[in-house]
Amino acid sequence: MSRTKLEQLGIHLPLYPTTSVGSFPKPDGLMKARGEFSKGKISHAQLEQAEREATEFWIRKQEELGVDVLVDGEMYRGDMVAYFAENFDGFTQGGLVRSYGNRFYHKPIITGEILWKGSITVGWWKYAQSLTTKPVKGMLTGPYTIMDWSFNEFYPDRRAASLALAREVRKEVEALIAAGAKIIQIDEPATSVRPEELPIAIEAMHAVTDGLSAYFITHICYGAFDAIYPGMLEFPVDNFDLEMSNSGLDMLELFRKSPYTKDISFGVVDVHSHAVEGKALVEERLRKALEVIPRGAVWVDPDCGLKTRSVDEAIGKMKVLVEVAKALRG
Amino acid sequence: MELLLANHSSYPRIGDDAEHQVLRRTIAQWEKKEKTDGDLKAAENQMTEFALREQLDAGLDIVTDGQIRWYDPVSHVAGKLDGVRINGLLRLFDTNFYFRQPIVTGPIRRREAILAEDFRFAQKNSSRPVKVVLTGPYTLTRLSAVEGNHSGGMNGLLDGFTAALAEEVAALAAAGASIIQVDEPSLLRQPGDFPLAARSFKALAAGKGGAQIHATFYFGDAAPLYEKLQTLDVDALALDFTYSPRLAEVIAAAGSSKPLSLGLVDGRNTKLEDASVVARQIERLANRIGAARAILQPSCGLEYLPRDRARLKLKRLAAIKNSLLGKSA
Repeated sequence: MSRTKLEQLGIHLPLYPTTSVGSFPKPDGLMKARGEFSKGKISHAQLEQAEREATEFWIRKQEELGVDVLVDGEMYRGDMVAYFAENFDGFTQGGLVRSYGNRFYHKPIITGEILWKGSITVGWWKYAQSLTTKPVKGMLTGPYTIMDWSFNEFYPDRRAASLALAREVRKEVEALIAAGAKIIQIDEPATSVRPEELPIAIEAMHAVTDGLSAYFITHICYGAFDAIYPGMLEFPVDNFDLEMSNSGLDMLELFRKSPYTKDISFGVVDVHSHAVEGKALVEERLRKALEVIPRGAVWVDPDCGLKTRSVDEAIGKMKVLVEVAKALRG
Repeated sequence: MELLLANHSSYPRIGDDAEHQVLRRTIAQWEKKEKTDGDLKAAENQMTEFALREQLDAGLDIVTDGQIRWYDPVSHVAGKLDGVRINGLLRLFDTNFYFRQPIVTGPIRRREAILAEDFRFAQKNSSRPVKVVLTGPYTLTRLSAVEGNHSGGMNGLLDGFTAALAEEVAALAAAGASIIQVDEPSLLRQPGDFPLAARSFKALAAGKGGAQIHATFYFGDAAPLYEKLQTLDVDALALDFTYSPRLAEVIAAAGSSKPLSLGLVDGRNTKLEDASVVARQIERLANRIGAARAILQPSCGLEYLPRDRARLKLKRLAAIKNSLLGKSA
């Protein structure tokens, strides 16, 4: 349990702190601006202004809903890996590859030594934090996931690429801490895909976080949790943000067999469904979590980023989870 | 030993220029009912022709239709069977590609031809033999879920998919397919199920007529299963070398009584192989492969690469062969 660490960092949170995984849907105004920017109709400064307005919208909305630990909503990002690849030296944008059906994306290619050129997310974090007195999480993608979701033409193997990325991601973490960030989330959704590479992902996370003073969260989703649990508890983070509801809370069975020893951001709403869950269902999910995990270790959030939902759906899902968490605090 | 060059299975259905985006555009418009089924088919045909042309231009001896019409390697086959409905997205093995999961709701039956028309179209547009690629019954079984209590467990499900695809193999052979590649990547993750997969391959072989069946394994380490794979009732084995540092040594030690398709060119990474290094690997294996012919192909489908890199990978196959023959590329 890391509440003491949070207190030492000057962060005072209620029981069952509420948060979100990171992304929120881009409001219509920003979607329009992105379309116009891609056609050359507006300038980069105009696009950035739309991104700032959308960031402010989501900060205000989270405050209004009563969320405890806020995010900037990632209004300035397209893809969680491509965004960092575009901002590190050593990457080339690859051609289009298919994600599924008729969806395609530009998969980055590591073609040279990866180097941090200067802060990537710090400006956005500072801006978001300037709008609220509540803590805003620093939001990064982890080295193992950036490696796994890129082609590698430069480093001799996957471990070498992961560790090179870790060394540079650490510089961004240091920059966030220097700017005042106390809670930093480093997402590693690829971790559960190749269980045999869990040691690489853990080694890379050590290289990112060891010796640094912040409360660290990592988000992992989609995959073979039964193959990486309890080994994943070796990750040097304070809190795992996990997709629980989409899989019928079946990870709780794993926790029963082998005790869960960290804080958890427990996903209580499914981000793949349009329907906003009722309070009774969300409360039932949370109560099931509390049967297995100590109450002081439980944070409450959605399963994953909400960017694929509509603005109203995302607000609806956040509203219900905040209301349930507050009610359970008593 | 003669070395033939082949494509593995899929090929990118998109490129970065407008000409190669016709299918993406057409599907998007078709979904909004702005294009007809005929328009969609024409776009699929056009991209299939592009894929065939790039394979032929690269000097391949055996080509595929690029699986341009496939939504994914699982639902495209399973979705055309009775007793199966298609559900939500799941990650395909350790790729960053997602397939729609089949849900088996009742007895599995083949109600219509699945791939014959596509094969005929591709063969009509290719001067070289077109290999048909069929996702195998074991892999479909492993990647499906069951609704209700009708399936008879995993054995029943496998028997259902096997019987349906055995009919498809017979139909493809009757349509003139000379090579039918049966993909069973799931077996490498569940090697203990080898007897089940062996039984399934035997049933598929029963109807193959004059066609060859190439059992194909990728996205995993084939070394631990290699000697058992040699006992399969198939005409050739295709193996992915990128997951196994030991596979070449295992083959060199055990030999091969069957022709092999060597997946020595990585279909999952853009980095181009050193042609002379791969040529030396093939030389070392050549003495141990019993058959008069071997095939060199990518380790898996090329759809995981951008189009420009996929094209370079095909050209690299020819460069490797030239290196082997002592010609400059």
